[in-house]
Formats: sequence, structure tokens, C-alpha cells
Amino acid sequence: MEGVWVALLAFLTCGYFALAGFDYGVGVLLRLVGRDEPARRAVLRAVTPFFLGNEVWLVAAVGVLFGAFPRLEGELLSSQHTVFAVLLAGLVCFTVAVQLRSPGWDVLLVGGAVVVAVAWGVLLGRVLGGPLVLWGAGMPVLFTLHGAVFLAWRLSGELRERARRIAGYLVPAAAVFVVAAVVTAGSVSAPVFGVTAVAALGLVGATWTALRAERYRAAFGCSAVLCALPVLGVFGARSVVTVSVMADVSTLRVLTWAAVVVVPLVLVFQWATWRMSRAAR
Amino acid sequence: MDALGLARLQFATTTSFHFLFVLLTLGLVTSVAVMQTRATLSADPVHARMTRFWGRLYVVNYALGIATGIVMEFQFGLNWSGLSTVAGDVFGAPLALETLVAFFLESTFLGLWIFGWDRLNKWVHLALIWLVTLTAFASAFWIMMANAFLQHPAGHELRDGVLRLVDFSALVANPTFGTAFLHVCFASLTAGGVFLTGVSAYHFIRRTTEVDFFRRSLRLGVVLTALATPMLIGFGFGQFPIVQRYQPDKFDTVGAVDGAGLGFMIQIGFVLLLVSWLTVPLLVRDWVVRLRFPLYLMVVGIPLPFVAAIGGWLFREVGRQPWLVQGVLTTQDAMSHVSRDQLLVSFIAFTGVFAVLAVADWVLIARLARRGPVSSDAAPVSPLVPAL
Repeated sequence: MEGVWVALLAFLTCGYFALAGFDYGVGVLLRLVGRDEPARRAVLRAVTPFFLGNEVWLVAAVGVLFGAFPRLEGELLSSQHTVFAVLLAGLVCFTVAVQLRSPGWDVLLVGGAVVVAVAWGVLLGRVLGGPLVLWGAGMPVLFTLHGAVFLAWRLSGELRERARRIAGYLVPAAAVFVVAAVVTAGSVSAPVFGVTAVAALGLVGATWTALRAERYRAAFGCSAVLCALPVLGVFGARSVVTVSVMADVSTLRVLTWAAVVVVPLVLVFQWATWRMSRAAR
Repeated sequence: MDALGLARLQFATTTSFHFLFVLLTLGLVTSVAVMQTRATLSADPVHARMTRFWGRLYVVNYALGIATGIVMEFQFGLNWSGLSTVAGDVFGAPLALETLVAFFLESTFLGLWIFGWDRLNKWVHLALIWLVTLTAFASAFWIMMANAFLQHPAGHELRDGVLRLVDFSALVANPTFGTAFLHVCFASLTAGGVFLTGVSAYHFIRRTTEVDFFRRSLRLGVVLTALATPMLIGFGFGQFPIVQRYQPDKFDTVGAVDGAGLGFMIQIGFVLLLVSWLTVPLLVRDWVVRLRFPLYLMVVGIPLPFVAAIGGWLFREVGRQPWLVQGVLTTQDAMSHVSRDQLLVSFIAFTGVFAVLAVADWVLIARLARRGPVSSDAAPVSPLVPAL
């Protein structure tokens, strides 16, 4: 029973990083790929169909964290109070700006995306014991790469070229970050972390190869897994999640019923959103 | 102000902002679902146009609902880690169910509803808005269940200093849950009805040419308010004996803040009941429009349900102090070990961000509402809106 819930928490968190990751990446790139207002609208239109569905993975993950891992939730959040406060303030600005944007809102939109990406990096760096500057710079690189790949996939013509060029610049930066993150991981010496790093390097390479071959969906899949990998690193390399922080079986049993019904439903409906938006193009 | 005061003030501020938006979300989504049902069944295009116009207002309002909701969820762990440590097993269960069964599904359905416009089969699309409505009310269901546990803890036992869940059905059967949940549901329907009425009245004041469109909207608003307010008041007073029995201190220690909240709520409830029922006969032959003066009252009345809702919530929460979980955990003990400075910074940051964004959102809603049911995609008010 406990194992199922650790797996579900990992799944939801990975889903959040893989999906919302490109939201933040697109946010960072809004004014770089979109040089004028019609282009910016095109950039946003690419991401809006998925936006509500993407962001809500975080809500689900934190809900599971509270319900199934109550003692981890309080400990983790309150010990990183300031980082989370900054992250949330950025997140609020970003989500609202994406949904209500008019051109004047771009400071909030781009700024919010940057703040969220940096704050996740800092948090991961703290949990994994790496240098915060590296992680604070590295996660935005991964998210922005993911966003650029997404835009290269969903846009066309000049905008696609621009997104592809930016992705090309980001690939070496991402590779440097992955290597540096492993070398400086400090106390974390678990083999899992090494495996994660090798996989990450492979994914960076695969993303680049697929992009060059214009296999955009494959590239997007690679960059999505790349964004989720640090989360797997957290779950794998550290004994962050133990039974003692978890809720009693009586609570988990109640929650399991809901999860068994809801998670497949969400997957089916979000898949339908992706399908529909592809058919409309 | 000390750290405890700051943390409480921050919680109250965030919750109040959140409540203002979700209240209208619930009321509007129900109205939109009714409109879309009529649009699907009838050949008259006015229903589809109504669904689109009110649906846009609903979506713009939802933006702040989701943003404040995310902060609400994190705030428990950030400032009140004692609550999750001691009572997380029990209190966390309905909260986790809310995020999974309601929020997660609701946003997924809503995203599909927005972008399925003109793309999906009309019956599938109609089913989606009803699913959004259902999951929106499911949200209120689980949240009120979690809140009821704080008012009157049930279904748990204390083991090694931690509350463990022993009987989930006791959470559902909690006497401080059911009546309060229905009260909140009808409060949101009232807020939706008053909003529909007020915006429609505004267009009649400006002598709109969309007479049929806003006549139908105004009627729906008035009828919704007239149907919801008696239930609202019934379930409101229905809670008095329950509070008397389980939390008698609430009445004994009533202070300036919660006392005023209670008073305003009751008065506004009765005013809305009275006025909506007086308006129903005036709907005949559009007397309400011809007389004109009721239209001004309707516009002025838009904020009333929101004031009442905040008042009622203050009474429910302030009266429980010093307990966070009545008789089990004090608010003081539930606080995280966070410094006063950290709390001050986060309080100022969140309050500032919410205030600016909430005002911006209301300005957008007002602009969209004023513009009326014209479709101008040249200057969309929101990136989500052109899809509608």
C-alpha cells in the first residue's frame, strides 16, 4: 500500500515537471520567439489548450503529499518557507498572466516563469545537496529547452525556425548542467544518481538528434522526460520518503479508491485534449 | 503584530480572496450549464450566444480561483505544519480527495470544454460543462468536510500523539458538515444569480439593443436568486442549533469582527430574499425594465452576496479560536517554526500580488461584461477567451 502511494506521488510530480515544464519554458521564450504581437499570440495559442491541465498536476501532487505524506508535507514546506513563498508568488503571477494577458502583462508572465523555474532549481539543489547557483541556473535551462522543443513542434514557418535555433543553443548548456550537477552532487553518492545522470545526458543528445531530423514529437518526449528526471533523482537517491512520514493505512485505503478512479480519468481526458488540438491543426 | 497574528492574517486574507472567486465560479458555472442545456435542446441561437458570453466571464473569473487555490493548498504546510503533523491523517484525507476528485478533474474538463468549442460533438460538449459543474461542487463538498473536522473533530483516535483515521463515514456524517455545505452551495447560486441580474440590468440601463438576450439573462438571474435565497436562509439558520450544541463558545465569545460578519450576512440574506421575490412578479411584461429604478438597485447589489459570504466565513472561523482543531489542537501549537520576518515578507508579497491581480481580474470582468455579447477577436480580453 505505501509503495503504491510513493509511486503515485512520484508519478504526479514527474507529470507536473514534464508538462508544466514547457509552460514555463514557453513563458521564458514568449518575447524571444515572439518578436511582435501577432507572433506572441501564436506562441501563447500553442500552449493555452494544455495550460489548465498542466498546472493542475502540481495541485494533485501537493494534495497527495498532504493526504498521504502529512509529516513530510509540513516538514518540507515549512523548512523551505522563503523559497516556496517566492515560487508561489511567481507561480500566481505566471498563471494569471497567461490566462488574462494583454501586452502590458508580459513582465509578469516572463518574470513569473523565470522565478518559478529558478525556485524549483533552488529547491531541487537543496534537497539533492548541490550548489544552489548551478541548480538555480540549470532548471530554467531545462525548462526553456523543453519549451523551445514544444514550440518547434507546435508552430510553423519562421517561428518554428526561431524556436529550433534557440533549442540548439540550449542543448550544450543543458549537457553542461547535467554533468556539473552529477560532479557536484556532494553527499548524494547513490548509484541511482549516476544512472539518472547518464540517462539525462542521453536524453539531451536524443533531443538534439530528433530536432535535427525534424522528428518533433520524439524530441518533445525526450525533453519532457529530461525535465522529470531530477524528480526521479530525488525519489531515488535520497531516503526522503519513508513510511514514518506517511499516513496510516486507514487513510491510504480511502484515498486509494479515489486515485484508482480519478488518475485514469484525468489521463484519458488530457490525452483527448492533446488529440483534439492536433486534429484542429 | 506577532508571528501568530501574521500567520492568521495571511490565512484569512488568502482564503477571503479565494472565496470571492470560487463563490462566483460555482454560481456562474451552474448558470452556464443551464444555458448550454437550453442551447443544445433549442433551435434559438440566443441560448448559444448566452452560453458564450457568460462562459467567457466565468473563465476569466476562474483564472484567479485557480491561482489563489494553489496558494491556499501550500499554505497549510508552509505556515501550519503542526496541523499536518498532528491531524494530517484525518484532515488531509478530504483535502487530498478535493485535489484529486475535484480540482484535478475540474481543470481537465474545463480545458477540454474551452478548446472543444465548435470542435466536439454538442452532446459531448454539454456533458463536459455539467462535469465541470459537478466537480466544482465536489470541491466545495470535500473542503467543507475538511473544515467541519476542524469545527467538530470526528472519526479519529489519538495514537502516539498523532490523530489516526478510524471511521471515514464519521467525517461524512459530521453534524457541522452537511448543513454548512448546502448553505455554501446556495450562497454561491445566490451570488451567481445576483451577478447575472446585475450585469443584465446594467445593459438595460444603457438601453441595450440585445433586448431578448438580456431579458432572458435577467430572468434566469432573478429566478435563480429567488429559488436559492430561501434555501440559503433555511440552511443558515439550520446551523444555529448545531453550533449551539457543539461549539457553544462561538456565541458566548462573539467579538466585533465575527459579530459584525454574522450580522451583515443575515441582513443581506433577508434583503436578497425579499427583493428577489418582489422582482419575480415584475418580470411579467418586463415591468422591471420599464420601471427602471429596480435596474439601478440590481447593479448596486452585485457585491452584496460576496460581503455576506465573507461575513459568514469570519463568524465560522474566528469564533473557534483559540482552537484550530476544536478541543484537540490550538492555533498556536499548529504554527510552523518560521520566523516572524519570514512570515511578514510572505504576507506582504502574497497580499500585494493578490490585491493587484484581483483588481486587474475584476477590471477585465467588468470590461467584458460591459462590452456585451459581441465577438471581437481583434483585441481579446484573455488568451483563453478567443477559443470560446
